[in-house]
Amino acid sequence: MSEYKYPIVKSFVSELRRIFRDPGVTVIFIVATLAYPLIYKALYWNEQITDVPVAVVDLSNSPESRAFLHKWNAAPDIRLTHTCSSMAEAEQLLRDQKVHGIIYFPRDFEKQLADPLGQAHISLYCDMSSFLYMKAIYLSCNQVMLESMRNIQIDRYEQMGMDKEFAWALVQDAPYSETALFTPTGGYGSFLIPAVLVLILHQTLLFGICMLGGTAREENDENYSFSSLLGRAGACFIIYFALAAILLGFLPRLFDIPHLGAIDDVLLLIVPYLLAVIFFSLCVSVFIRNRESGLVLLISTSLIFLFMAGISWPKEMIPEAWRYLSYFIPYTWGAHAFIHINSMGASLIHTNGFTASVAPEFISLWILAAGYFLLACGLFYVRKKRVWANK
Amino acid sequence: MVFSPLVLVKIIFLNIWRVLLRELKMMFARPLYLFASVGVMLLSTFFFLTLMKGGSAEEMPVAVVDLDQTTISRRLTHEMQATPSVDIQLVTNSYPEARKAMQEGRIYGIFVIPEGFYDALVSFKRPQIDFYVTNAYTVGGNTAYKQMLTMANLVSGAFQLEVLRKKGLPDDVIMHRIQPLAIEGHMVANPWGNYSVYLVSTILPGILGLICLMLTIFAIGFELKARTSHAWLRAAGGNYTVAMIGKLIPYTVIYLVLGVGCYVILFRFAGFPVYGSHARLLFGLVLFIFAMEALGITMIGLLPTLRDALSIGALYAMLGFSLSGFTYPQMAMLPPVKALSYLEPLRHYYLIYVNEALMAAPAINSLPYALALTAFMLAALCVAPRLHRALVYWNYPLK
Repeated sequence: MSEYKYPIVKSFVSELRRIFRDPGVTVIFIVATLAYPLIYKALYWNEQITDVPVAVVDLSNSPESRAFLHKWNAAPDIRLTHTCSSMAEAEQLLRDQKVHGIIYFPRDFEKQLADPLGQAHISLYCDMSSFLYMKAIYLSCNQVMLESMRNIQIDRYEQMGMDKEFAWALVQDAPYSETALFTPTGGYGSFLIPAVLVLILHQTLLFGICMLGGTAREENDENYSFSSLLGRAGACFIIYFALAAILLGFLPRLFDIPHLGAIDDVLLLIVPYLLAVIFFSLCVSVFIRNRESGLVLLISTSLIFLFMAGISWPKEMIPEAWRYLSYFIPYTWGAHAFIHINSMGASLIHTNGFTASVAPEFISLWILAAGYFLLACGLFYVRKKRVWANK
Repeated sequence: MVFSPLVLVKIIFLNIWRVLLRELKMMFARPLYLFASVGVMLLSTFFFLTLMKGGSAEEMPVAVVDLDQTTISRRLTHEMQATPSVDIQLVTNSYPEARKAMQEGRIYGIFVIPEGFYDALVSFKRPQIDFYVTNAYTVGGNTAYKQMLTMANLVSGAFQLEVLRKKGLPDDVIMHRIQPLAIEGHMVANPWGNYSVYLVSTILPGILGLICLMLTIFAIGFELKARTSHAWLRAAGGNYTVAMIGKLIPYTVIYLVLGVGCYVILFRFAGFPVYGSHARLLFGLVLFIFAMEALGITMIGLLPTLRDALSIGALYAMLGFSLSGFTYPQMAMLPPVKALSYLEPLRHYYLIYVNEALMAAPAINSLPYALALTAFMLAALCVAPRLHRALVYWNYPLK
């Protein structure tokens, strides 16, 4: 390959060749990167969970309890599927996973409501095997409870001799409205898919680069020169810039999940993110001896990086030590920056008094990219010395 | 030559012993095997057990936009700060400032007390409270939402209390008028609403399963790749079954030790509840480990190129975490995806876990899942002829 004047161009071109001639790497870089998002979209297709089956135990058997159930059954979240005569029967259904919740009206429900000094109780039992069951059952029941309560309150105030107008005003004295900002219809997929898209880029690059490094080492084809470092990074960058533009720029629009960010912001963010991930992966790849060992050793980091970044589990609830460690993983910054831009409309260049900036994450990614670049230079140098010594 | 059965058994045991010794030598010659099993499992266990402080989301940061600036709005802010689930990070009189803080990921909710709130309240003009949450971070957003909803309702209650007190009514008479109806929530089998109970007790076995799958594929596939499978079969006296048994014994021992260790840590030391039978849950975990190991054999049998089997195995097992339905329930999945979830051993283990640990259900409820896990082992037997041929003829590409 003497046609290239500069060694860096030579190593860039030869790296591209190695990537596309290696079916294993192509599968990880191209096929996995494009197939994974589709699989995850199919998996989280329904944003909300609806019609969670609930059993009813109504010992009061009163018009009031029936009215309550009727109203609740109209909520899309749940469906009253079974009517039981005893708690034991309902518990059996819950144990058999036929229902995921039980609502229980005690015998004195009606009496307590009729008594102006009484307080009526409803018991709600939620299956805790998934938190989304509890969310669906508890919140929708709470809503019906608050509505019903207002009517009862008005009745009671009237009984006290208040006029209806006043009772109504008193009960409704401070109404409220709730708004889900930025992503009003967002459900589980809208929340998780953006974070997964960023993770896919991170992990396929990590596995692919480790596979390239391990293969070179197996075949005694290692090259740890400075120009090789730049050429290899450049080849990965070119391929992944296109992939990242598809995943982060195009797919949220195709998938109809939130995409409030401007395209130029997303493209700008991609640059330091990819550089940080590439140099991070090159550092890791120096320690990989075999073609496949990277995948075997590092596969569970996908879960660890996702949780450590503080996305599924709030970052405020993560112990300091893990939080500081997460700052060294490019994914942490990339994921938060992308979620802020894509799902909440923050920006890098279009900021004004109303729009937040992702500059802190952007700068952190550049710092990580520079840091891992220097570290990779050092590791490559040490490794080069070792290879020469062995020869 | 004709051997008596006793001699035959002796030869088989000798061959298994020979394969086993050969495997142990290979295992300790490369750090990968122990790193990828014991190392990864120790790290993951440590990570997930220390990750979720207390296991429930508390002190989630929110903002209060106080446009009223009166004693009542300040008291409201103060009372909200006193609740355990939110932490007021920002009190401001500028909504854009709060919105920006939310975009920066610093807060999960905004509670807006409108201008003239107090005056409007006392003159029954029904001032409206607005609150905003973000769905971009689901746990933080939900926690903030629940608390702000409660606060908005408390405002009503507190005001009614004031009015009725002025009318000279005693507190106990008032209270039930304000709150004539109450819901008692019961979180079955997890009364603390602890996230790590359901999350970690599925993720950690899942990671162990991932290790079983990947390492089993690697251990067998590497013989194909390094072209050492003939030596392996020779050590086994040419018998495929003997070769497999001898090879898998040391790994199976490692997996089982890790499995029992993980079980003891989760359900003894970390104190995660098991309301049903410990024996059946542990048995379910052992079946799951065998199923993942069998799945590894099936993968390398179907795809006798190490790299392919590993890539597909990784994809398959990673999807198990989503398909098992412990975060996003199976009932919400599309029918074809739902069907796919039955092909994930982790789903069957998760259901045994729910039955045994949370529901204390009778054994019959877990039986179908135990049978499903057993079916994965039978699948591994089906690929035996194909894998045997690959070991003998090397009829698959190296890379």
